[in-house]
Amino acid sequence: MTVNMEKFLVTEKQKNFPWDFIADADTYEVWDEIEIGKEYVAPIKYEVKAEDIINYSQAILDDNPVISDEKKAKESPFKGLIAHPLFLTTIGFFCIRSGPGSWIRTPGARNPGQKIELYEPIRPGDIITLHMKSYDKWIKRGKYYMTYEIKYIDQHNRLKATMWTTLILPRTREDIRKFMRAEHGLEA
Amino acid sequence: MSNVTFSSVKLEEKLPEVVQEVTQERIWKYAAASLDFNPVHIDPEWVKTAQPFSIPVTVAHGMMTISFVTSVLTNWAFPSGGWVRKIDVKLTKPAPPGTVEKCGGIVTEKHPRGKNQSFVVVEVWAENQNGEKLAVGTAEVVLPD
Repeated sequence: MTVNMEKFLVTEKQKNFPWDFIADADTYEVWDEIEIGKEYVAPIKYEVKAEDIINYSQAILDDNPVISDEKKAKESPFKGLIAHPLFLTTIGFFCIRSGPGSWIRTPGARNPGQKIELYEPIRPGDIITLHMKSYDKWIKRGKYYMTYEIKYIDQHNRLKATMWTTLILPRTREDIRKFMRAEHGLEA
Repeated sequence: MSNVTFSSVKLEEKLPEVVQEVTQERIWKYAAASLDFNPVHIDPEWVKTAQPFSIPVTVAHGMMTISFVTSVLTNWAFPSGGWVRKIDVKLTKPAPPGTVEKCGGIVTEKHPRGKNQSFVVVEVWAENQNGEKLAVGTAEVVLPD
């Protein structure tokens, strides 16, 4: 990559995260090779800290105190800080780095939209484990779509949220390698 | 505290808009916050030739746009204890730096249920400064009685 992200890395997790998605791209799952119906548990858990929640809210310039101010959030109906619903994105990228689901890091992938169900707020102190299922893949108008169903479960075995994560992907490993060389590797 | 309740909400009621400007600096900060460092978002040199969206410039994360859209709902509902329980959004156009995203929502359905279980369906969207839709979708928001 031609950019250096170091100055934007604020939280402890960000500073220790492997952020060069091109460097490891040859190891990511490929659309062509993914088998539907398989279930996996992500090996990395996410221990939620207040700084993670607040940093996400700051990045989207959302100053709603429920999601950005620990002190004021205690006076809200939620009685404490909770995460913005799309904070699920951060948990997903933190927990999925290689192996099943690593296609979410694919250079050149495009986001066609997402579906999310939220059952309980995510709060500081939660330790989230991702239970994943290769849910569907399909071809439409020459584009190759991939969906994983990802369940976000806390340390008390409570289901916090389910996300059907979908991307349009390069179809083959050679297509991904084109993107690694900064060449276009999508068919449509 | 906001007083948005199921009984006070009216069909066709518009939610307060969220307006956000996309800049490369903001994309980099969102990349760090979301841990999504895909080069299509963060690397202006790479995208000149790779062009996943068939344009030679970076684009904002789709999840950033969906976050803005969702903030329309959370700003409206969270202060009174409402809960966003479902979001289903399609992204229809990329948002390169320079885009001003205007996000809104309108209540289209009311579903009476038991105590503090009633919910509304909200149509949501994001559009750019030219009025072109960047995202469209629906959400379900549970509201206090």
